[in-house]
Amino acid sequence: MEATHQPLLRLRDLSTDIALRRGTVHALDQVNLQVDQGETLGIVGESGSGKTMTVLSIMGLLPHGGSVVGGEILFDGRDLRGLEAQELRRVRGVEMGMVFQDPLTSLNPTMRIGAQVAEPLRVHQGIGKAEARDRAVEILRRVGMPRPDKIVDDYPHQLSGGMRQRVVIAMALIRSPRLLIADEPTTALDVTTQRQILELIDDLREEFKMAVILVTHDLGVIAGRADRVAVMYAGRVVETGTTAELFRSPRHRYTEALMRALPESAAADADGQGRLYSIPGLPPDLSRPLTGCRFAPRCRFATDECRTTDVALTPDGAGSGHEFACLHPVTEPVAITASSAAPRAASGAAEPLLTVRDLVKEYDAGGAGVRKVSGRVSAVAGVSFDVAPGETLGIVGESGCGKSTVGRLVAGLEPSTSGQIIVDGTDVATLGRAARHRMHRQVQLMFQDSYAAMNPRMRIDSILTEPLEIQRVGDAAARRARVSELLDQVGLPRRALERYPHEFSGGQLQRIGLARSLALRPRLIVADEPVSALDVSVQAQVLNLMRDLQRGLGLSYVFISHDLSVVDYMADRIGVMYLGKLVEAGPAHQVVRAPRHPYTQALLDAVPSPHPGHASNAGTAIRGELPSAVNPPTGCRFRTRCPLAQDICATEPPLEGGTHQVACHFPLRQEPPES
Amino acid sequence: MTRYLLTRLGQALVIVILVTLITFVILHLLPGGAARAILGKEATLQQIAAFNHEMGYDRPLWEQYAMYLQRLVQGDLGYSFQLNQSVAEAIVQRLPKTMLLSLASTLLAVVVAVPLGVVQAVRRNRWPDYTINALSLLAYATPIFFMGLMMIILFSQVWPVLPPEASQGFTLAEMLADPAGLVLPTVTLAILTVAVYSRYIRSSMVDNLNENYVRTARSKGLSEGRVIVGHTLRNGLFPVITLLGMYLPALFSGALVVERLFNFPGMGLLFWQAALKRDYPILLGVTLLISVATVVGALVADVLYAAVDPRVRLRAGRS
Repeated sequence: MEATHQPLLRLRDLSTDIALRRGTVHALDQVNLQVDQGETLGIVGESGSGKTMTVLSIMGLLPHGGSVVGGEILFDGRDLRGLEAQELRRVRGVEMGMVFQDPLTSLNPTMRIGAQVAEPLRVHQGIGKAEARDRAVEILRRVGMPRPDKIVDDYPHQLSGGMRQRVVIAMALIRSPRLLIADEPTTALDVTTQRQILELIDDLREEFKMAVILVTHDLGVIAGRADRVAVMYAGRVVETGTTAELFRSPRHRYTEALMRALPESAAADADGQGRLYSIPGLPPDLSRPLTGCRFAPRCRFATDECRTTDVALTPDGAGSGHEFACLHPVTEPVAITASSAAPRAASGAAEPLLTVRDLVKEYDAGGAGVRKVSGRVSAVAGVSFDVAPGETLGIVGESGCGKSTVGRLVAGLEPSTSGQIIVDGTDVATLGRAARHRMHRQVQLMFQDSYAAMNPRMRIDSILTEPLEIQRVGDAAARRARVSELLDQVGLPRRALERYPHEFSGGQLQRIGLARSLALRPRLIVADEPVSALDVSVQAQVLNLMRDLQRGLGLSYVFISHDLSVVDYMADRIGVMYLGKLVEAGPAHQVVRAPRHPYTQALLDAVPSPHPGHASNAGTAIRGELPSAVNPPTGCRFRTRCPLAQDICATEPPLEGGTHQVACHFPLRQEPPES
Repeated sequence: MTRYLLTRLGQALVIVILVTLITFVILHLLPGGAARAILGKEATLQQIAAFNHEMGYDRPLWEQYAMYLQRLVQGDLGYSFQLNQSVAEAIVQRLPKTMLLSLASTLLAVVVAVPLGVVQAVRRNRWPDYTINALSLLAYATPIFFMGLMMIILFSQVWPVLPPEASQGFTLAEMLADPAGLVLPTVTLAILTVAVYSRYIRSSMVDNLNENYVRTARSKGLSEGRVIVGHTLRNGLFPVITLLGMYLPALFSGALVVERLFNFPGMGLLFWQAALKRDYPILLGVTLLISVATVVGALVADVLYAAVDPRVRLRAGRS
């Protein structure tokens, strides 16, 4: 390290342990990192990689039982570990600021916004109440809060998620920190809101001349925003370098695998079927002693040397600061080409398996009996689509657009307000109780959080047998045989049957969830955000499995997700929903590459792309917030936020077109001629 | 807010009417009827018929119920021939004393339990937590009459500093004039309450200390004291409000065992003696009063919630 150049923050061999009842987890093992003034460092890694523990160690906010056990945290040349408690609190409260992942729970529910935002000033600078309030208004205005002088007196629950995240940012900024730490600041937010927040952090970094540490699992978020990147795996930094360099030529095999596992990379792979590259196995258990490269057990290039030698970060020799800890590094560049997936073969003009016509679902607004109905929430407002046998229909949209409600209605979990759901030629509404009961065999659900969807006190055996018992399928022996077959299909060992849900990882739970929905040999599976809670490498495993099963069993999927790249990878056709309406529907490659509705375009623009300097980080973001579904805008529901809106948009545009339909008076493109 | 209150009041009223119906039915299910219960086994049929006619018990049931309600509204809870005074009068004499006992012990319990619970939560799974936990479990498991006896033995026999019996003043003022007599019953009653409350507060504080907003507060560099008092305590005390609401009926019913033990002239003792002598008018009058207090207690807790928690307030106020 040159003597003249002192980084703002430098971690030297930082090690952190977390004491749990079942043993000690060595969450961080000799982490070395540095952040310069005014620079954005991205820390990327999957869950359990230690990225969050790193920043919590810096802030001294480790959870109960956690403690830094070795190394130095040099902030501005001083080791924070050696500071008095009071001085440490001052550094934390004045020189650093932190933005957390979940804005909904990060604010005190019983304290006014203004009081929470201004609290650091009141505590550390002894500023009076009135002045603190003024400063809070000022900083709230700065982070783009509408009517800040009113918001200061509000409580957190009165604001949307995006607005609450702005409040948390304001709270971090009011102290003019020199280092802003953002831990997954946009993971809980919709893409359009995510974009607003990331841009805000970028702008503020320049204005306040802060250094920023951006922690995320999302390579796309890092690519667009960070100057330098550190990739973490199992409590260690495995690779670090400038963003451009690292994305152009990742050297560590883990970084490479992570990039290849992105759905965006599917088309770049040689495999004609577009299978995703997935990393086999699971990250190591950090409560056990580990030797050698921690990625070795999952790495296809690992040799015996990898399993026995500890590899330190070494420079790549080009002098650009690119360092990696790998004995068999990547030598050829791994370009993630912007995918140009070939259109999948159309499934022909077979009779649709599922037909939905003018589906409407409204809920009573308001709580349980306390107040009378003052309006109706229009969750789904006249949605129509078909799903052919063996086809995947992707439904995308932001939270509150009604996509999950459509899934629940199709699966028969809730009755619709009006409209038709026709499964295999039979209108579900015309069926009696018993017939509808049997109909449920045809349509099954797969959930986002399979753990929450399983009874924690039931063994996997009972969980998988239950649907067969309810539908009275076969005798006990036949059921046992069926359950074993299901496990084979989803790639889990037989011994899983004896275990309970909490003993499995997220990816394994999704496999069990899939097995359960397959138990009754359905023809259609409604998968509601099936991979949203998973890490990229595991997500790839589950997506591959879902496609293999589709091919093998001739399944249809209604694949609901907020993630356009995943839907693009999985779906034959895509429907885009906005505030209860289907605004665009068509073949997946067309919708994603040549969108016709301005909302679809805005959604695509907002998705952070894992290509540094890629065009998608330009373009215009949607402004404003999703309107309320109680009394939604008349006519086109997107018109209140649409850059192209005219007077005519107050009348409702029909969903029109041949194979690529759009509901817009001013479609961005004409439909390409049928070929 | 007003609308919310009115709705809750309406609900409370319906429940109270149901309660009167139930007490009315019980009154008529008494073996041999009310007359037998009041006049005794020796009464002749003529006497019973005369009594029934006098009291209106020979009229149709709905008419009797209407009369019963009418009397209730006027505060007439019936007449105790055994005490030779009206039920209302008997209650009015004793209620203030019971309320004094309950309020004092609840106040004491809250004042002690809140800091205990907070200390336990902050030092969770370390010796202060374990110690307090063991003590409160012990207090919780000890039968209250045993606890009371121990108190009497300790503080008026072994170390005679306090009288073993509550002061027998006829009015509230007379009782207050002799505060020493109040100490043992109040403390005995409070010990059990402390044990219950501190456990609730501990678990609620532990939950809150693990919340993300607490981490946010710490990230501002606040001292631990400020994090706890300024941020966590208010959210952590919600369960106490529920407990207080549930406890309100006890203000009226009194702690039966404690009042009996210390010969404390309150509602509990009244109920106890009435039960021994089968004084049905008193028993039913007190039952009705406690039922109403239970309903009102729940109502008060809800209103307190709305006052303390902005989320409840807003949901109610938006109509």
